[in-house]
Amino acid sequence: MTLAAGIDVGTGAVKTAIFRVGDGKEEWLSRATLRIRQRDPMELAREAFERTLEDAGLKEEDLDYIATTGEGESIPFHTGHFYSMTAHARGAQFLNPETRAVLDCGALHGRAIITDERGKVLKYKMTSQCASGSGQFLENIARYLGIAQDEIGKLSLQADDPEAVSSICAVLAETDVINMVSRGISAPNILKGIHLSMASRLARLLKSIGVGNSLVMVTGGLAKDEGLVAAMNEELAKIKGVDAKVISHPDSIYAGAIGAALWGAFRFDKLAASGQLLKAS
Amino acid sequence: MSTPQTSEIVARCQALYEDLNFTAAREWKEAEPGRKVIGFMPIYIPREIIHAAGMLPLGILGGGDQLEVIHGDAYYQSYICRIPRSTIELGVSGRLDFVDGMLFPSICDVIRNLSGMWKVMFPGVYSKYFDVPQNYEDEVGGRFYVNEMAEFRRDLEEMAGRKITDDDLRRSIGLYNRNRRLIRELYALRARTPWKAPAAEVYLVVRAGLVLPVEEHSALLEQYIAAAEAEDRPIRDNCRIVLTGMFCEQPPLNLIKSLELAGCYIVDDDLLLVTRWLIDDVPLDGDPLHNLSQAFLHQSESTAAKYEPDQEEKGKFLVRAVKRTGAEGVIFAAPSFCDPALLDRPMLQNVLTRANIPFIAFKYAENSGQMQPIREQAGTFADSIKLWSAA
Repeated sequence: MTLAAGIDVGTGAVKTAIFRVGDGKEEWLSRATLRIRQRDPMELAREAFERTLEDAGLKEEDLDYIATTGEGESIPFHTGHFYSMTAHARGAQFLNPETRAVLDCGALHGRAIITDERGKVLKYKMTSQCASGSGQFLENIARYLGIAQDEIGKLSLQADDPEAVSSICAVLAETDVINMVSRGISAPNILKGIHLSMASRLARLLKSIGVGNSLVMVTGGLAKDEGLVAAMNEELAKIKGVDAKVISHPDSIYAGAIGAALWGAFRFDKLAASGQLLKAS
Repeated sequence: MSTPQTSEIVARCQALYEDLNFTAAREWKEAEPGRKVIGFMPIYIPREIIHAAGMLPLGILGGGDQLEVIHGDAYYQSYICRIPRSTIELGVSGRLDFVDGMLFPSICDVIRNLSGMWKVMFPGVYSKYFDVPQNYEDEVGGRFYVNEMAEFRRDLEEMAGRKITDDDLRRSIGLYNRNRRLIRELYALRARTPWKAPAAEVYLVVRAGLVLPVEEHSALLEQYIAAAEAEDRPIRDNCRIVLTGMFCEQPPLNLIKSLELAGCYIVDDDLLLVTRWLIDDVPLDGDPLHNLSQAFLHQSESTAAKYEPDQEEKGKFLVRAVKRTGAEGVIFAAPSFCDPALLDRPMLQNVLTRANIPFIAFKYAENSGQMQPIREQAGTFADSIKLWSAA
């Protein structure tokens, strides 16, 4: 049996997961997530890692491989690092084995990925530099509206007449929102408008990499936003030749950490099989 | 005296790297009256002749990412690489006012033209387009190169006000042989145990040799090799790659660091080739210029910038480097608008494809600041090798 940890240092939070892998089974032993806020992500990574170890009843030396992903490559105690896209693709595959496309929506970017049944990345595309498709943008808007982040999705689902928002530029979109507030547009309709705007960009991104009729798993911080997931399905339904379905998972936020841990275990076994264990562990 | 830690040695080398006023070379010159400094650009000049004249060969590798180019841009079109612009900036801003001569090796037309511009801009400075042979036959390139070096030797004798004897040259060749042996040793150490000698450190330590006297640099290399071997550093599960195309305009240090952070151990490269151009000791017996010429023709490193008349042999040096170092892939990284690197790239890539060696390619400038796209490319490349390669 191989024991591996995954540490995903994102822009907004650090997520950790520990897995036991062997005999065709992947057993998720423990997890932790800590918001970064003003804290040092490296210290936070250590803290989250320690908690995960404790919950699993393990010591650091019990682990065969400690994998990092996201911005975690500078963590001093890691064995190997996987690029976030590689990790998210594998994590999504674990959460739903039918997944053939992943939409990684984090604080600063959106990324569409096509995968195969092993979680191997076949194709991908990122949103452009503009923040209007990102979680950070949505977080800013929630703050302007005086709404907690957790409420965004639920409120968006209550919209009855969503107001269109610029999908080109976050600055223009924020101006649109200020105008809407002064015009008395309700928060649900504003939020749904923003979700539709983001979803239309992300849907085009999925189409451009040939999503077809794949099952799309949303990962990253925005995966919890059921309003965005609903908007994504609405926007994809409008695109000819695309019959994809977007889903989320309660543990989607851990996709990076899960993927890193599972790839770490895979890598450990591969090195062991080729007699190169000294190289990495 | 205790051996310094790698961190101390690297900190000193980093300070030399960041010092665009070349304080160490200035201090060397001021230490004794009559001392002279000869600057040279990439990729190769026979530093032994300068050393034998009692002068300091000083590598001028552009302005890096810390120099704001204001005047230099006015001299070049937008589709020219950055190293000539920043070198002009170094010149017109007075940072090279202590340099008594400048050599411009035949690497490309841009550097050739820069030699002419230098003559016009700095008429009081000895300036030479140093034409190394493109033909590797003894009777053609060999004779030409001996004459070229003899002419350079006479020029330096005139500047020094004394003869450069064959024994002077032999002594200098011996010192540079030792320096090259140590650098080969350092590269072998890195290829064997890349976690002990990170690429950015190796780069800084080798680059220090372009501003320090060779005797001092060899001592520094010995110290670093001993310290790196002794230090216990964590092993990462990174893939091993050969980095190629960086022989002229230098990448920002952050780029080299980013590649390793992204999961790629660099186990061979073509950075700072002047320090490794000659791959074996130059014999000390006989005519030193003939020996230097023979070494250039028959014992020199291969790179995209070196003419290869045998099409069958073209690009094989990369396949050999991959096998020699146990690398798992190649990263082509070339400065934007670098003709020697970019024109050969498709041919080299074809050779790798036929040899079933994975590769990626990107471009940079010496002042590139945005590393995210490079990290993304290198990171996904490392993942594909680690997860999906057969080994």
